[in-house]
Amino acid sequence: MTGFYARWAIMVGGIILLALMTFQQYQHDLSTISLATLLNSPATSETVRIQGMVKSGTLSGAVDQGQATFELIDGSTTLPVEYAGPPLENIRELKTMVLIGQLDSATKTFKAKDTALINNFGFVAAAYLLTVISMCWALFAMSQRVMVLFKEIKEEKLYEPEIDPLANKE
Amino acid sequence: MVNRFIRYIQRYKGWFGGAAAICIFLGLYTGLLASPPDYYQGELVRIMYVHVPLAHTSTLAYSVLFFGSIWYLWKRDPLVDNMCQASAGICALFTALALITGSIWAKPTWNTWWTWDPRLVSFSVLLLILGGYLMLRKLVDDPERGGRYAAILAIVGGIDLPIIKFSVEWWRTLHQPMSFSTRGIAISDDILVPLTLMSIGAWLLFAYMVMVRTQILYLTDLLQAKKGRLLSQTHFSQTSP
Repeated sequence: MTGFYARWAIMVGGIILLALMTFQQYQHDLSTISLATLLNSPATSETVRIQGMVKSGTLSGAVDQGQATFELIDGSTTLPVEYAGPPLENIRELKTMVLIGQLDSATKTFKAKDTALINNFGFVAAAYLLTVISMCWALFAMSQRVMVLFKEIKEEKLYEPEIDPLANKE
Repeated sequence: MVNRFIRYIQRYKGWFGGAAAICIFLGLYTGLLASPPDYYQGELVRIMYVHVPLAHTSTLAYSVLFFGSIWYLWKRDPLVDNMCQASAGICALFTALALITGSIWAKPTWNTWWTWDPRLVSFSVLLLILGGYLMLRKLVDDPERGGRYAAILAIVGGIDLPIIKFSVEWWRTLHQPMSFSTRGIAISDDILVPLTLMSIGAWLLFAYMVMVRTQILYLTDLLQAKKGRLLSQTHFSQTSP
């Protein structure tokens, strides 16, 4: 019984450790901040991720060659963006985009160098957590059921040999 | 023959469980921390390391159910029937998880949780067949008759396996084409390593789960049989003069 729970404690501990390591690695890289937070934060050259909608009538430049300028809207905040990076295949006006880059504090322009499909690690975390938790739950329930069945069989003494009724007649 | 094989591998199920845990742990580590993001999909590619192994394993699980059902109808071996029932339950779990993780991947990529795509529909049909199989076993009072009907359903439902496999080639589809085919492997090494580790881990995990579940069904049958015998003995001693 102790061995059973010890084995499970080790397994769950390993999974939690891995989850914490992953969280630590991606927390910084995959956190998206709002445009207002970016504009109000002190000047920094740190690479950040922002999300907003491409303002209608502002998109210009050679989009398929990875050069574009446009304005990004997030609520009431608007931020001019200069994009220089991989060719933009899916950009259009009024489309919500996640951009990776740095804010030029002098010109208050966002220098984007890449785009992303997701603004945080939520989708990936959801897929992993759902799978790991479901599998662990199924395995734990099955292992426990085996243990209960063995205990029940042992306690009920169901393994006692059958008495042969013919043997007494001899 | 199959009976002896099941009994033989039952002895080593702990090894399967241990090997599955190691493979999955290494796969999770390489998939989440050591592998780079994909050029097009970015970080979302990491969902593939759980979605693809789950989907592969569910088709493998259904294959076990399919061939096990044929064998059961031929030999009427109760242990093979237990193994089929175990495979069906675990296959349903893997299939449901594959559909859900696929849906989570589809939302940011295709901008929808669900679309009437041939691969998605044929895979959902697999889940419905499995649901029908498990319900049939519960609904029919006579377990032997229920097992027989369920085996027939599993064999008929086997037609869905090639449809799932080739749906991406037969019809116009949003889903990715086959990555492993006679034309070669269309995956880069960075992605192939965690994907292979997770796939092997999922197959071993399935084998382990089937063995444990088969054992549960066997022990439950044994307990019921023994209890029935004890009850009949009690009844006999009370009613006999």
